Amino acid sequence: MKKPDPEFLEIFRDEARERLDRIVSTLLALEQGDARADAVDDLFRDTHTIKGAAGMVGLDDVRELAHSMEDVLGAAREQALFQQSLVDPLLRTADALRRHVEGTREPVAPLVAELRDALAGLGADAVAAEAPAADTAEPVERRTGRRRSIRVAPEKIDTLLDLVGETVLHRRRLEHALDGDASASRVVADELDHGAHLLGGLKDAAIGMRTLPLSSIVGPLPRAVRDLAAESGKEAELVVVGAETELDRGILEGLSELVVHLLRNAIAHGLETPSERERRGKPRRGRLELRAEQRGSVVEVTVADDGRGVSGETLAEAARSSLVDVLARPGFSTATEVSALSGRGVGLDAVKQHVEAVGGALDIRSDTGQGTEVVMRLPLALALLDVLLVERAGSAYGLPLASIEEAMALGETMSLGGKTALELRGHTVPLADLAALVGASAPAPAGRSPVVVVNASGNRVAVVCDRLLGKEEVVVKSLGPLLRSLTMYLGAAILGDGRIALLIDPAALLQAAEVRRPVQDALLRGAVDVAGDTEPPKVLVVEDSLAVRELQRGILEAGGYRVETARDGREALERLGRDESIELVLTDVEMPEMDGIELTKAIRADPARSGLPVVIVTSLGDDADRQRGVDAGADAYMVKRSFDQQALLETVERLTGR
Amino acid sequence: MSDVHVKLRVGREAYALPVENVREVAELSGLAGVPGTGKAVLGVLNSHGQVLPVFDFAAVIGIGRDGDASRIVVAEHGGRLAALAVDEVTNVSDLGPEQEAAELGFLRCAVLEDGQLVGVVDVERMFESLEREAT
Repeated sequence: MKKPDPEFLEIFRDEARERLDRIVSTLLALEQGDARADAVDDLFRDTHTIKGAAGMVGLDDVRELAHSMEDVLGAAREQALFQQSLVDPLLRTADALRRHVEGTREPVAPLVAELRDALAGLGADAVAAEAPAADTAEPVERRTGRRRSIRVAPEKIDTLLDLVGETVLHRRRLEHALDGDASASRVVADELDHGAHLLGGLKDAAIGMRTLPLSSIVGPLPRAVRDLAAESGKEAELVVVGAETELDRGILEGLSELVVHLLRNAIAHGLETPSERERRGKPRRGRLELRAEQRGSVVEVTVADDGRGVSGETLAEAARSSLVDVLARPGFSTATEVSALSGRGVGLDAVKQHVEAVGGALDIRSDTGQGTEVVMRLPLALALLDVLLVERAGSAYGLPLASIEEAMALGETMSLGGKTALELRGHTVPLADLAALVGASAPAPAGRSPVVVVNASGNRVAVVCDRLLGKEEVVVKSLGPLLRSLTMYLGAAILGDGRIALLIDPAALLQAAEVRRPVQDALLRGAVDVAGDTEPPKVLVVEDSLAVRELQRGILEAGGYRVETARDGREALERLGRDESIELVLTDVEMPEMDGIELTKAIRADPARSGLPVVIVTSLGDDADRQRGVDAGADAYMVKRSFDQQALLETVERLTGR
Repeated sequence: MSDVHVKLRVGREAYALPVENVREVAELSGLAGVPGTGKAVLGVLNSHGQVLPVFDFAAVIGIGRDGDASRIVVAEHGGRLAALAVDEVTNVSDLGPEQEAAELGFLRCAVLEDGQLVGVVDVERMFESLEREAT
């Protein structure tokens, strides 16, 4: 059996004692009828935590007992009804748990059986309790004086989500209409801002009804990996990336089992033994990675290992169909010998079926000797995505903000083997026309057009477009079943003015650019031509949001300016002190440390810089900020929402006298 | 299936779609091109918050047209939606009684109405064809 780690055991004991104390006092409060409304939730959570922790330190009796208790509490919670008859067996279970935690050994089977009976009793009762609970929570509430949860058909939540998405779009149209209307009153603007808060809350609440972070199923996995590896004479560690990624609740429930299955596969079939790994020049300990990432309207959950990968013959066979088809064929096994871990009758085909049943897709990549990656692409309840909107050849495209490194103006380029690239702080990045990558025909982009550097899985490509339209949070709409084979797009978004923007999948973009590995930096660096023109005006952008900052930088650089940035007023002052060549300051108002108003005042108060032009960027409706900015001595203000390239460049041009 | 059909004109030809498979008839506007699609795909448009692919019906049936289409017929089958760009929606009415076999792949039959041959679309087979034309 597993030996509990003494250090963990002590931590576990401390925590379990505390939770058991709370469980007992909550049970007593329930008995007396003066428990808090969410008392059963608390009990469930405490028991669940004890169960999980006990499993991790290898106290199987405690785990089993807590598990039985959790089942009963789960059923009670489900029914929105706590029966007094449960208090006694649960208290006795808590006492037994405490004795086990302290180290005494006594059989748990009788108590487990008793709890099972109690659970069966609840089951019979559940039929009676279910009818009113399904229609309306009221009768239950009246009977018990409290309400645990209500059952809602998933379709109703979906309808709510759809409506929230539509409301977001509606709001965007409204903003768009108001942006062009200078006469819009302050009251309207204030109400609009208030509406934005409400809508944000509604959106989060609606999404929260359907989603949970991946971290909610991750807890027991590191321990499971350790044990599974030990059972097969291997060493393995689990690395979790993107644990905060939210997934649909319904999908997440079934996911835990699939992930454990894939990890078991990876350990049994993928990882080599420590000595074999050493022979191959790999670390003794195998690395397993569980990775989750939202990509448009899907969440990719990947289980990867750095083991032996699939054989060359299998890859050759897969070339004719796909690796998934070959590996998921019922009965296919990559293990030459059947170990205790493999051959349990649940194959990759079961994983594939499950993923497809929830509307997802399974993909497998493998390199012989290097490892295997199993990717589950799962749909998201409501997909909202932050994108940078760009225009090329009259069409609007959205690039996920998460994949964007920076935006700048097209400057010097270099060429090697017919491929263009540009230099970015000492590295070369391949350069490509967005139109060419998506397959649109378009006239060549103008010189000094905006360039957006897109990064997907460590590979970068700089794409040229005609115009940056701005950053926006969009609702990802599917292109529908007829266009599903277009892999370039994550979907489409309907913009405020009713236009449709195609949302680009950065990975597909990179693939189109055939960026497999970075071009030899050193080779190209020699070819860089340093331009010695007269230097354009330098602008200091002060903004605490990285995205907005980079967007403003991109617009200004595209307009031919040199750009410095600062994250708040204090940093801006430092930079101004060091760099006398700055000719204009563009600042946000709300920032940590020192805000934009204080910054403006500080600039005006300094005789050496009092004439420096300052442009304040405010949110729509922040008339007070605007007035304060003017009072502080700002030369111009801009509204963030109507923030477009042209207006910004015109203002900066006017103030720098360019 | 009722006999009521939406009759439409493409170039000099006439076609009929069962009314239960037609969700909407609308102006063709707000079209956004989608690079990477097949020749018959004009792009996508926003239909009540949903993004729909727009197919040039003339290209789907393989005939030429003079000028651009001006109307769309939103067809629906098995959860799939497609907007068909046509020249004109003539009327919604019962099918004529005279039915004869049609040559074109996704036509169920043809009927003779006022001296013109009207192709009656088999919507399921039409969607199979759209799927092939999509990319």
